[in-house]
Amino acid sequence: MPRWGMVIDLDKCTACQACVVACRAENTVPFAGPEESAKNRPIFWMELLAVIEGEYPRVRGQFIPRPCMHCDNPPCVQVCPVNATWKAEDGLVVQDYDRCIGCRYCMVACPYGARFFNWYRPSWPTPLPQQHNPDLSPHRLPTGGRQGPEVRPIGVVEKCTFCIHRLEKAKQRAQAEGRDVRDGDYVTACTQTCPAKAIFFGDLDDPTSQVYKLSRSRRAVRLLEELGTEPRVYYLSGG
Amino acid sequence: MKAAAAAGAAVTAWQYWPRGRDDQAAPAALQERWVKSVCLQCPAGCGIMVRVVQDGLGERAVKIEGNPEHPINQGGLCPKGHIGLQILYDPDRLRGPLRRVGKRGEGKWEPISWDEALQIVIERLKDLRERGEPHKLVIMSGRNRGQMGPFIDRFLAAFGSPNHVNHSSICSDGAKLAHYLTQGFKHYAAYDWDNCNYLLSFGGGFVEAWRPTVRLLRAFGHMRRGRPVRAKIVQIETRFSVTAAKADEWIPITPGTDGALALAIAHVIVKEGLYNKKFVDEHTFGFDDWTDENGIPHQGFKRLIEKYTPAWAAPITGVPEETIVRIAREFATTPPQIAAGQRGAMMQTNGIYNYMAIHALNALVGSLDVPGGVLVQIDPPLTPWPPVVQDEIAQAGVKQPRIDHAGTEHFPLAATVYAALPDFIAQEDPYAVDTLMLYYTNPAFSSPDALKYYEAFKKIPFIVSFSPFLDDSSQYADLILPDHVYLERWHDDVIYPSLGYPVVSIRQPVIRPLYKTMNAGDVLIKLAHGLGGTVKESFPWQSFVEVIQFRVQGLFESGRGNIRASSFEEFWKEFLERGFWADPPYPFGQWERVFKTPSKKFEFYSQALMHKLEDFAKKKAEKEGLTEEEALERILAGLKIAARGDEVFMPHYEEPRSIGDPKEYPLYLNTYKLMAHAEGRGANSPWVQEILGTHVGRRWESWVEINPATARRLGISEGDWVWVESPLGRVRVRAKLHPGAMPNVVNLPFERGHRSYGRWAVGYGANHNEILAREYDYLGGNAAFFSTRVKVYKAEGRSG
Repeated sequence: MPRWGMVIDLDKCTACQACVVACRAENTVPFAGPEESAKNRPIFWMELLAVIEGEYPRVRGQFIPRPCMHCDNPPCVQVCPVNATWKAEDGLVVQDYDRCIGCRYCMVACPYGARFFNWYRPSWPTPLPQQHNPDLSPHRLPTGGRQGPEVRPIGVVEKCTFCIHRLEKAKQRAQAEGRDVRDGDYVTACTQTCPAKAIFFGDLDDPTSQVYKLSRSRRAVRLLEELGTEPRVYYLSGG
Repeated sequence: MKAAAAAGAAVTAWQYWPRGRDDQAAPAALQERWVKSVCLQCPAGCGIMVRVVQDGLGERAVKIEGNPEHPINQGGLCPKGHIGLQILYDPDRLRGPLRRVGKRGEGKWEPISWDEALQIVIERLKDLRERGEPHKLVIMSGRNRGQMGPFIDRFLAAFGSPNHVNHSSICSDGAKLAHYLTQGFKHYAAYDWDNCNYLLSFGGGFVEAWRPTVRLLRAFGHMRRGRPVRAKIVQIETRFSVTAAKADEWIPITPGTDGALALAIAHVIVKEGLYNKKFVDEHTFGFDDWTDENGIPHQGFKRLIEKYTPAWAAPITGVPEETIVRIAREFATTPPQIAAGQRGAMMQTNGIYNYMAIHALNALVGSLDVPGGVLVQIDPPLTPWPPVVQDEIAQAGVKQPRIDHAGTEHFPLAATVYAALPDFIAQEDPYAVDTLMLYYTNPAFSSPDALKYYEAFKKIPFIVSFSPFLDDSSQYADLILPDHVYLERWHDDVIYPSLGYPVVSIRQPVIRPLYKTMNAGDVLIKLAHGLGGTVKESFPWQSFVEVIQFRVQGLFESGRGNIRASSFEEFWKEFLERGFWADPPYPFGQWERVFKTPSKKFEFYSQALMHKLEDFAKKKAEKEGLTEEEALERILAGLKIAARGDEVFMPHYEEPRSIGDPKEYPLYLNTYKLMAHAEGRGANSPWVQEILGTHVGRRWESWVEINPATARRLGISEGDWVWVESPLGRVRVRAKLHPGAMPNVVNLPFERGHRSYGRWAVGYGANHNEILAREYDYLGGNAAFFSTRVKVYKAEGRSG
């Protein structure tokens, strides 16, 4: 079974946020609006973290696209009191909207700020719902709960799924061909759109895959590695 | 854990769950298709594929992806491309033609039928022709990609008006004209970024606002890690932009002085003998002193730049001498290299000369038309337009002077003078405008001193807008004939200069139009047919898609490119399936094509400029009884050019002019474009509103970036409401203390502050154009965007 993971080359990344918007479009992420944004409550499964520091004229800027790290040792899973989030068979950290009670322990536990709470009812004035991703119900969790690009209700936590609905389709295609799903069968929406081709996605265990090679490059680092979370997202340092 | 979760029974759904749609009986098999088309969120012309599904909600577009085969974007897509869905499904789109019933700008409209709407326009235009005044019809346009631009030209030529005013003179025309004066082609340049080893970018937002966007982002990735050698990128800019952050080096520069820096770099390259002597000998003119056919000696560029030493440039530009020398050496010795720039360098009072100086660096190092250098875009072999048929009325009409005075001695090289138009309209100079049509342009929002347009509109009896949205200008219209949005319409796209080789793409409707809107191309055909006579004769087509087919027939007949077909029908079918036609690779070294100047070489000394100004001087001398020298002197004084003699025709330094007394208005105002900025057309998307200001942590509001030391001096803290005030007026925005702001420059981003444009655009942020003064590079009629001085002070309101 592939160990799905991602490599983001910060030297190639142009901070354009195509990944951010592609993710919102793919996963039916609602917009926050001005009031909720002012409370710092917009939801970004993929978010561009920006730091500009220094003193004129010696200034430095860093831009880091941040998806869910799909940690192999995920702190969010350990703290969930109702088993609404867990590590699925193929290692993705899944989130069951039906089980979630909205306690937000997971948001506190996640050191990456990758989890978001639905503080507000999503606003989709007609005809905006026309753009909603139709890849919904067929991909329910074994619990019967909903996940992925389903429209979320107020009061639950959501996060990046590594485009699990795309993985489901890839599995079905592979099954039809009588084989297991493998590297190259699918990529996430952010990977697909990246104009600078800075995002790579695939099987971290497959020695022939790009992510296997890149994740072992000398430039490869993981965020807050010292916490022992074992993130599946690698960054290639810039400059 | 896993087992526990799997074993758990389905949890009862919360009662607030939005039930309905997904709980119905087993969903019907989803029907879906991917349709190829072309984005129109900027002029880049990226190939897209749109996922269209048919389900309980009807036929709908649910996702836009890049077309992996398309040579511009190769499958990538920028954030603006995805936002197309929110343009299509914007709840505030216009549903059909509207006629104004209240006062101008009051916002009272009544829906009318297309027949009635078209008849109103036809009667009015007929009347104009009958009165012998067809030139009083003005069409302003923007983003008229592919055949739309020439189609509007054609409509006006057949009708009898010289007045197609497109928006390029508030965009980046400075580069076009600098290329024309030095190389003889009046367009942006193409660049072989993939093989370039050193990029010297003067005020160009390479990864933000330069075009074609995704082509540049892709090139950036490739120049960084897509090949064994990592290219060096040096960003010369008046603010620490994302491009500056992603570059290897940021060189802050005093606004308007890019030309001085480029000339000093040239000085070092020549003085140290680092220039490409072979290239300069073989392919350039006017480097050394020369003598014309009348035996008159002229100064050359080499002698001219002797005075532009790094010691001279340092205090002007604020760039240290040693940096200038180091950059000059690096640039000259790291081939292939490119010196280029964008509006930061060229949309200045001295913009054309600045850009000539920048482009001259490419000639010095021989980076013209070589791999890794500057290329000249090749046009596709489209079928030529049939001649326009003109009756006497049209013939007389097109001979009238243009309403914007483009191409006169006041704006000698200008193709359009968009920003000055309100004055000419208000003063009825050279005549009163009767009817104005707006196609994909919103002057009352996007032109400097934007509110001037509302005054000008008062002088125009009849205004028609083709906008699908009730934007700032359309709200002052009398009649709105809403166009489809780009995902619903037929429209071709000939790529922006970029790859060098020709590419033509096809924008096709991905779904049926949602409302009673009409392709603006079809509207023009209907108007022409309604007008009858020679106007109708000039339009032998029934719809705009026929026009596209007529033009692309030439691609099929050329037998070139990626589509080989035995019939045009077969060609068209494949064109729609692939989404584009392309004819790579780029042929290097076609010098006759690359240098279209009088000398057939790159001209350090522009003979085109010399001839142009001498012609004007000759005519003026005859008309006003002056000597030619006196006439030229007066013309140069009118153009506010300080140089005299040979220097006028060469890249040289002119001091930038600014508006506002430096004592009262101590700061320069810099306005800039961000990646998600869709050139003034994106604020109606909530997605744009939430990502535009990520680098400063601001959403749904405008901010001004101030250097922290400057802010401290002014008593301004982070998040304070402040007024930014110019001699024209003031706007209220949030203060962002930004170490990347130069101490004497404040930065206001584009995009926000609409007065009308739908629920997500109105009431959020401020429009810098309302305080931006109008100053010009008179030579080209270009708006100078960085000439306004401002002061900043605290405003009422809670900081946050």
